[in-house]
Amino acid sequence: MEFADVAYRYKGEPKDALAGFSLSVRKGRVTALLGPNGSGKSTALGLGAGWLAPSAGRVVRDGPAAFLPQSERLAFSFSCVEYVVFGRAPHLPYLAVPTGEDEARAVAALAEVGMADKAGRRITALSGGELQLVRIARALVQEASYVILDEPSDMLDPAHAATIGRAIRRLADSGAGVLLSTHDLAFALACADEAAMLRSGRLLSVGPTDGIIEPRGLEALYGTAFELRSLPTPILG
Amino acid sequence: MSRAGRRAALAAAAIALVLAVVGALLFGRYPSPGFTDPRSLFSDDLAARLMVLVRLPRVLSALLLGAALGASGAAMQFVFANPLVDAGFLGVSQGASFGAALAMILGGGSFWLFGSAFCFSILALVMSVMMASRIRFGGAVLRLILSGMAVSAFFSALVALIKYGADPLSTLPEITYWLMGGLSGANWRSLSIAAPIAVGSVGLLVAMRWRIALLSLDEATAASLGARPALERAVVLGASAAGVAAVTAMAGVVAWVGLIVPHLARLAFGGDGSPTVPGSALLGAFFVVVCDALSRGLFQGELPLGVTTSLVGTIAFFALLMSRRVHVERG
Repeated sequence: MEFADVAYRYKGEPKDALAGFSLSVRKGRVTALLGPNGSGKSTALGLGAGWLAPSAGRVVRDGPAAFLPQSERLAFSFSCVEYVVFGRAPHLPYLAVPTGEDEARAVAALAEVGMADKAGRRITALSGGELQLVRIARALVQEASYVILDEPSDMLDPAHAATIGRAIRRLADSGAGVLLSTHDLAFALACADEAAMLRSGRLLSVGPTDGIIEPRGLEALYGTAFELRSLPTPILG
Repeated sequence: MSRAGRRAALAAAAIALVLAVVGALLFGRYPSPGFTDPRSLFSDDLAARLMVLVRLPRVLSALLLGAALGASGAAMQFVFANPLVDAGFLGVSQGASFGAALAMILGGGSFWLFGSAFCFSILALVMSVMMASRIRFGGAVLRLILSGMAVSAFFSALVALIKYGADPLSTLPEITYWLMGGLSGANWRSLSIAAPIAVGSVGLLVAMRWRIALLSLDEATAASLGARPALERAVVLGASAAGVAAVTAMAGVVAWVGLIVPHLARLAFGGDGSPTVPGSALLGAFFVVVCDALSRGLFQGELPLGVTTSLVGTIAFFALLMSRRVHVERG
């Protein structure tokens, strides 16, 4: 997926939410977008997912993308299998309903993210971390070339964040290109191969996470001083 | 619930519906109150004619009415991602009420009453959708809900105005009785006008049952799953409203079926996915066939169908809410 000099301006807004944005998201790799609130991360994700069209520049994607927003409306109590099987929608004829084989794939995807024992549970009865895993299982059965996640570790404790991180690594290992936004620097370090830093709709820098996430770069990004301290980090395996 | 379990539950509901239809055909107050002995149809010419010319079109109308309201209610709840809306939510029922009241005050016959009720209910839908597109805040669903409420209130006010000016000895009782809903005037002619639209509506909604469930997801999520939410929502709303408009024009406003039946279907058939819309059509048909039989056969004078469905529906609704089986939204 290539963002080539992309700009986007929301209707009625005086300035671009994103401008001159260029980035490559490669298959089998995880790319993290970092930046303060309002820096254009969600806009970049929307452009990548295709539900926003760039005002200028181009977004080229050689395959479909699955999109996982930060939170999802849960108006109905679908079972985990029912919810995951929605991921099969792009592979089914328009008026078809999922077959037993589709449900078997959903169950297998739930097992892959460690949720096999919760397959029959209602999604409204899950914890935040469990729900995130179910959504990742849905992305797995969607078999999209790219998976785009908006703040996947938001509000999760370190253990759940590590579980989500492992599931995301599994998505990349299965061949998908992953683009995610996060404020969790430890999560980005542990989970992502590359990071792109966005400030005020502009790309400040891009590179391998362990090289780019350092005090001076973060100070330029967030406008506050950082110092290096040793912090225990969960092992993603 | 397993796939086999869901299929078995749907088959059981279909069998229950067939039994209810047969029971309703044999239930009434002629030749004597209660159930008619089927053998008497061969010996009593009047009973046979009553069966073919009165009860059969009426029971089929009840079946169609319940199926359309149930399927449309389930579809609307998915599309609005709100389990507490029903088929009349976009002003469709109130538009039909106004159209019927207008036809009555202008002295039109039953064909004009049907046409006027149908046209005004579709007009109400169009007004709701157009107003929603002009509202400048909220997401697509919130805008539709707000505009639907406003359009419903608008047509309710117009109905009140017509009732206020109607002749209290002739037109006012006629309007009031129609607004309570009922199938006392159902016959083959009214059925033949409403049936093609209602059957088409239910058929389309049942065919789209899984896509409709998918529309309850976030717009961006549904789009990334290959759906075209705006277009598909318009198709589902149009089909639902047309079905509801047709049966409401035929039978008046029959409340609560579209709200309560989808909840019962979720409980009966498990989960919230593809069985909900066809299950709601089956249970809606069963519910209205039974309520209509009770309305016309329990007492010497007929109870309005809308009163029976509301009484039974509200009791079931409270029972459901108190049993904590209605999952509204994550806290």
